[in-house]
Amino acid sequence: MKRITDSEQALVATTVNGRARTFSIEPRISLADALRYELGLTGTKVGCEHGVCGACTILLDGEPVRACLMLGVQAAGREIETIEGLAEGRALNPLQAAFHRHHALQCGFCTSGMLHSAIGLLRRNPSPSRAEAREAMAGNLCRCTGYETIIDAICDDAVAAYAKEQWHE
Amino acid sequence: MSKHDVAEIRPQAIGQSIPRKEDSTILTGRGEYIADIRLPNLLHAVFVRAPFAHATITNVDVSAARALPGVELVWSGADVARLTAGIPATVQVENFALTTQPVIARDEVRYVGEAVAVIVATSRQIAEDALELVDIDYDELAVVANVDAAQAAAHLANAEVANNVIHASVRVADDTRAAFADAAVTVRDCFRNNRVNASPIETRGCVARHEWTSGLITFWSATQMPGYLRTMLAMLLQIPEHTIEVITPQVGGGFGQKAHIHPEELAVCLLARELGQPVSWIEDRQENLLCATHAKHQTNDMAIAVDADGRFLAITNHSTTDAGAYNCLPWTAAVESEVGTATISSVYKFPLAHADAVEYATNKTPIGAYRGVGWTAGQIARETLIDRAARELGLSPFEIRRRNVIGPHDFPYTNVTGLEVREGTFMETVDTLERMVDYAAFRERQAAARAQGRYLGLGVSVFNELTGVGTRSLAYLDTPITTHDTTTVRLDPGGTVTVTTSLVSAGQGLATSLAQVAADAFGVPVEKVIVRAGSTANAYGLGTFASRAAVIGAGSIGRAAEMVRAKVRQAAGHMLEVAPEDIVLQNDRVHVAGVPTHGMSLAEAAGAIYFAEATHPEGFDPTLEATATFDPGDNVLANGGHAAIVDVDIDTGIVRVEKVYAVEDCGQMINPMIVEGQIRGGIAQAIGASLLEELIHDDNGQLVTTTFQDYLLPTTADVPDIEIAHLETPSTLVPGGIKGMGESAMISAPAAIVGAVNDALAPLGVAITQFPVSPERVYRALQAATQ
Repeated sequence: MKRITDSEQALVATTVNGRARTFSIEPRISLADALRYELGLTGTKVGCEHGVCGACTILLDGEPVRACLMLGVQAAGREIETIEGLAEGRALNPLQAAFHRHHALQCGFCTSGMLHSAIGLLRRNPSPSRAEAREAMAGNLCRCTGYETIIDAICDDAVAAYAKEQWHE
Repeated sequence: MSKHDVAEIRPQAIGQSIPRKEDSTILTGRGEYIADIRLPNLLHAVFVRAPFAHATITNVDVSAARALPGVELVWSGADVARLTAGIPATVQVENFALTTQPVIARDEVRYVGEAVAVIVATSRQIAEDALELVDIDYDELAVVANVDAAQAAAHLANAEVANNVIHASVRVADDTRAAFADAAVTVRDCFRNNRVNASPIETRGCVARHEWTSGLITFWSATQMPGYLRTMLAMLLQIPEHTIEVITPQVGGGFGQKAHIHPEELAVCLLARELGQPVSWIEDRQENLLCATHAKHQTNDMAIAVDADGRFLAITNHSTTDAGAYNCLPWTAAVESEVGTATISSVYKFPLAHADAVEYATNKTPIGAYRGVGWTAGQIARETLIDRAARELGLSPFEIRRRNVIGPHDFPYTNVTGLEVREGTFMETVDTLERMVDYAAFRERQAAARAQGRYLGLGVSVFNELTGVGTRSLAYLDTPITTHDTTTVRLDPGGTVTVTTSLVSAGQGLATSLAQVAADAFGVPVEKVIVRAGSTANAYGLGTFASRAAVIGAGSIGRAAEMVRAKVRQAAGHMLEVAPEDIVLQNDRVHVAGVPTHGMSLAEAAGAIYFAEATHPEGFDPTLEATATFDPGDNVLANGGHAAIVDVDIDTGIVRVEKVYAVEDCGQMINPMIVEGQIRGGIAQAIGASLLEELIHDDNGQLVTTTFQDYLLPTTADVPDIEIAHLETPSTLVPGGIKGMGESAMISAPAAIVGAVNDALAPLGVAITQFPVSPERVYRALQAATQ
């Protein structure tokens, strides 16, 4: 791998929401900031910048990761999914629709991270119990909802059907 | 006509759990929050923060920072002092200290994190690089680190505050000595509440743009109070108010913390004007924990006298607040202990009381508003003592409350702090909670668990809440501010309704719930209403706080809609050849009352009024929009209660909340789903405040909990599922019978959780009176009890 100095810009080629994207950034820029400010994908939120709140959670090669704890240059050659790619055309996907139906969001600042952590869980387990969902979502802070409706949404039958079809058949 | 008038609204969409209009934007990542605002040539501000709690600034050298490529400007306190004196704040009552917080400290710093310089650069990274190049010399001064030090008054936290007393007040001063002497049971203790941070997941932030050609300023802020912010920017910065537009974008939670005027907002506005380029400031999490307003830091020394039948004879309370170095604007240091003192008797019949409050200046971040502000600490103290009295008398926690709440035959009841209570379902709340927890079964389960060495506990708390807070309620709370809030309603030519309001949302769903109100005001489906908020180009108002937006929104929409409906009735009556009073608007139609077929669609009526003069009566004024204020004619009191069941591990001290029950009576609910969302969210914050969250300062006033790894917010692992029941006592003061309710769970649920812990530990002779109830506190209390 080519070595670069702090002040040089690194050219990063990656895949975001299924499309090839390139951007050049200082090596010190976090992946969250790179997505937000280099690619304009501001749906990824930054809540604490120290890896606790989970608001910046995205999918990297299909796994939930905290975009504030990675550098933008680490995205090179990886597949990234963000909230901007979740809807199916102009319709909410079944997980988004369940969040809507169950009132699983209020201010919405944690929602992007919640959705990605939930997808990470559903890829492993399409129909988690409430206890399993609580365990899996414990790394994402929400200050508005009290979490119960988020768990309701993740454990919704329509979500289980969607998860089975997407990742388990 | 008066601003108190209650317009007629017949609930139809009101009362329905309609999924929110705002969700799709958020769920697809398209919401535009403050940090998402990108403008051409946007510059980035960061603040240099004081490392000492109290020190004299002896020298400021910003030359190295200014020389860094990419840095556009560095200001110290002296640079900003030329432009503004800062933020003066007081309450217009006797002997209330006025403090003036500088935008950037110049000669002295009074809390860790106070801004001492600001840097603007072409990127946030460069601005943060420059932070390390600012060289400031300090001479440390004696730190007033807490209320004890403030009371000793050997040193002053802020020379503006004599004896470190911002204000001392006596709310009620009955002679209670005989009552206590005669009491069968006297319970007394001192309850020390923690200093907490509202911690919205989105931190604070603002963006300013100034056009020198037009003189116009556009100011985006993640604020709950855009109208008030505009007025204060104008006053404090000497900018003509009409040249400022404040825009509230999507806001990621406020909870009161964003209902203040922050020094950073003034700085950013001045910077944009100075530089002729837009400037953005986005707070980081450490800054938020350090220097966004802190909250709740009260101590209450309370006593209750009870007779042999379990009836309350008297209550006394001395409340203090560790208020920090300045008054916040607009609430000031009065916002904790004085509010709590004014509401100390809550839903109970105390014949006598003595209650006073003192707010002390300390070298800490100013105390400010956070959900349930003022009420939480006194509620914990009172409900804990009530439980203790019940235990001594052998009464159940429900029975002692039944014997003392204001009952259905007592209304109107003027309570001991002077609040006239005309309604409320206090008795029903107690009964409902008792049924929900299945009290007898719980006590059996508790006994069985204890036999196996497990300690379960049940806590109960009942409350009432001043909601829809306006001029009358603020006067009651000894904060004499006249509130002014307006909404504009327009019936569009095509029969749709456009509402523009000063009431902004920080996530509460006002675009949905206020649309439900407007839909019923015009008899149209919710889909035909749009609610626009978030710009001071719209109607003027103070903003969203104190459980008020539903009430003020319904009141102002109702009054404005009534004016527009009168025009529609007049025109339609003329067209249908009946008197205007015989015309009704319902089901999207305008027709003769009782004869739906004799009429027209609302769209046809609106179209005729806009564009068909031939249909108008003689001299008709076709204005189909109206602006109205609303300010409730009296206190709008909602009420309810909470019960919690906890499991305390006496080996580790860890408290697990097994279940929380909530009863809410907020009159006619607009959207029950949203109401329940507010309850659940408030209970999660209650679990945080009572078990987990604590801003800890060392003896030098240094905050040691500066990350979310030290300052613990509740997670999915800490918050159980919650059972909710609703009672409904419609308000006569608000259209549709609506009351506010956003703060209720943070007023009352902490008391239920604390009560549950103390119920669990009572057989071990342990009572926890310092919060949060951390594992360490439980462990140490148990150790002390066994020695």
